Amino acid sequence: MLARARQSVNYKDLLYNLVVRDLKVRYKHSALGFFWSLLNPLLLMAVFTFVFTALLPGDKAKPAFHIFFLCALLPWNWCATSTMGTLQSIVGNGHLIKKVYFPREMLPVSVVLSNMINYLLSLPALFFFMLLFRTDSLGSPFLASCNNVCVNQHLIWLPILIVTQAIFLMGLGFLLAALNVFFRDTSVLVEVGLSAWFFLTPIIYDAKAVAGQYANLMYYLNPMASIIANYRDIFYYNSSLSPDPWFILRTLIECTILFIAGYLFFMRVSGSFGEEV
Amino acid sequence: MAKLIEASDSGIGNREAIPPTPDSQFPIPDRRSPTPDPKPPTKVIKFSHTSKRFTLHHERPRSFQEMVVNVFGLRNPSKRGVAMPRPAKEEFWAVRDVNFSIYAGEAVGIIGENGSGKSTTLKLISRIIEPTSGGVSVRGKVSALLELGTGFHPDLTGRENIFLNGSLLGISRKEMAQRYEDIVEFAEMGEFIDTPIKHYSSGMVMRLGFAVAINVDPDILLTDEVLAVGDEAFQRKCLEYIAGLRRRGVTIIFVSHALDAVRGLCNRVIWLDHGRVVADGPSGEVIDRYLTYENERHAHRLRTAQRGGGSQEGSVARPTPVDTSGKNSGDDEPVGALRGQAPAHEVIAPGTRWTTGDVTLTGVTFLDGRGEETTLAHTGAPFTIRIHYAAHQKLEGPVFGLALFTENGTHLNGPNTRFAGLEIPSIEGKGYVDYTVDELPLLAGRYDVTVAVTGPDMADMYDHQHRAYSFVVQPTPGLAERWGLLHMPAHWSFHPNRESGVKNREESDYSPQLPIPDSRFPTPDS
Repeated sequence: MLARARQSVNYKDLLYNLVVRDLKVRYKHSALGFFWSLLNPLLLMAVFTFVFTALLPGDKAKPAFHIFFLCALLPWNWCATSTMGTLQSIVGNGHLIKKVYFPREMLPVSVVLSNMINYLLSLPALFFFMLLFRTDSLGSPFLASCNNVCVNQHLIWLPILIVTQAIFLMGLGFLLAALNVFFRDTSVLVEVGLSAWFFLTPIIYDAKAVAGQYANLMYYLNPMASIIANYRDIFYYNSSLSPDPWFILRTLIECTILFIAGYLFFMRVSGSFGEEV
Repeated sequence: MAKLIEASDSGIGNREAIPPTPDSQFPIPDRRSPTPDPKPPTKVIKFSHTSKRFTLHHERPRSFQEMVVNVFGLRNPSKRGVAMPRPAKEEFWAVRDVNFSIYAGEAVGIIGENGSGKSTTLKLISRIIEPTSGGVSVRGKVSALLELGTGFHPDLTGRENIFLNGSLLGISRKEMAQRYEDIVEFAEMGEFIDTPIKHYSSGMVMRLGFAVAINVDPDILLTDEVLAVGDEAFQRKCLEYIAGLRRRGVTIIFVSHALDAVRGLCNRVIWLDHGRVVADGPSGEVIDRYLTYENERHAHRLRTAQRGGGSQEGSVARPTPVDTSGKNSGDDEPVGALRGQAPAHEVIAPGTRWTTGDVTLTGVTFLDGRGEETTLAHTGAPFTIRIHYAAHQKLEGPVFGLALFTENGTHLNGPNTRFAGLEIPSIEGKGYVDYTVDELPLLAGRYDVTVAVTGPDMADMYDHQHRAYSFVVQPTPGLAERWGLLHMPAHWSFHPNRESGVKNREESDYSPQLPIPDSRFPTPDS
């Protein structure tokens, strides 16, 4: 396994080229290019904010709902796109797999990384709303909670969270990509599963509001729930409470375990990709 | 590079005169591991008891459960029947217990029929698939020309694809940048290099793919019938380049059905049949053995087919084409085929036969210079094709003819008794006609023979058997010529320190300064 890892290092330029290929192909044909990928989350943000603040203005409506929502939606989009992408990464590159030898793990990893870059590029939009809200909302009914949402020192946790999520998505991607080679119905199941997963992850609601007996279950079975809860701590609740380092560490460990399991599984079966794809 | 290619194409160096040790067959001076080198050559590829089993899934009725059980090796044979009734699978061994070692600098051809395991062997070497049992060890950088242009993305430009493809082969961006110019030049891309690949012609894509694959400086180059595609000029360029790589000491594994190309490029050939090694040795010997074997098998198949057809033919009295494919125009085509004009609208399958039943060509035998029957001919030696007939009634002025084809269907000639001025008054009963070549000009290979007998006007097709027989030509010791199809009786001469060519050209060439007789177009001088 160590030899495999060393070999992967030799192919790091392949990884670079695959990521660049992904990004270039994605944005090559549209004039607005990357900005289209922002349109979707911003539209969703507008709709959900309208629904939860105007249509359903309960006591439980979150102040600054649009930031509450957007800071969870963006990492979720990274999760959803890279899950669908890694799922097809081996099968969709069958012509390569059958003709050239290269470390196959490069394909799912490159999908996760190119979607990560996409996510990183969308973060300025989130910061923009965070800053905009702080200046514009002076004197608004949300004044009291205004300090909730601002850019501050807790953001130093952000890189660790991003690495955690990347590790999680790679581990999951290894599993799904390999499974899809042998059982093509995997992709159908995942498509259905993704919409369920969206609602089972605290994106439109708050993880802290989940009923006690389910909260732990949710955190353990769904690493995305922990990851999103962490994001929300640093982006949304950042001044009322500081992020819990132990929770972040636990999430990282859980994701690393999944990554290792996924990698081992992938390595175990990748030898037969050449004949099964 | 041009100089090196010349040396190989002119066939300098008599293969037969040099002892057949694999490394000395091509007397190439600048090889990295020449024979006199006291060091043993490095083993770069080793197959030890290597086997590969493929499972044919007819419908893939597979479940997650089976997958999980298989992967983690938990399957318990005693419980298997209880756990789930497994679907019947068909298994076959693409490669079975294969052993060989390939040394640095060798050029090894792998030959065999379709399904003999050639491509599987290449894929095992390139690690695309893994052996079911046994070991495959490979040392050095492998570049596989399995399919040109693999991995090109249509939306990316040529330049971007060069780097992407290079990194697929494990080359760093820095190294690729150094080779970039060479690649663009070899591929003859010019200003198109910054155009997306989807606007390229297929020829350009292939050129680019080939240029990348060979410019990554491989230690081992694998090729699998890549040269079967593309125009002839490109194929030649590729073959020449591969020959050049070989001289630089690159190990080459060459899989092809084009035995001529294998013979020309490789010093060693491995013949696979049904996944097993049948022969492994100097290319000439192995290819000749293979051709002989193939020829015998081919002849046997045809004999079997003819026996089946012959029994039917007995019951058919009126003129009927035996093969339905010739039914519509059965009378015209065979004459055309005999004259060497293959019908344009369809390819006649070897073994196709038309007959009116008046005369039966009962067989063809091949005779050597001593008049003994053989299926092996030798370049430059006498050779006779004997056509046996049985006329069921008396027929006036028949014409016997034949046609020679190469193995892949190129029509070589179509002589007949009429063209040769041999008038046969009549035939009745059994007999034979001989076609004798005093010095067979054909080079090594397998050739097919069409035989026919027609009426006096060459329109009534009494019996026509298209490419129904074949013989093998083997190289003659002492005759080194081996490129192409023919050995023409000719001689070379050498004239140093003379420039007779220049003088001749001055005398014979048209000179534009000749006075123009027509006064309507006066020269500037006048």
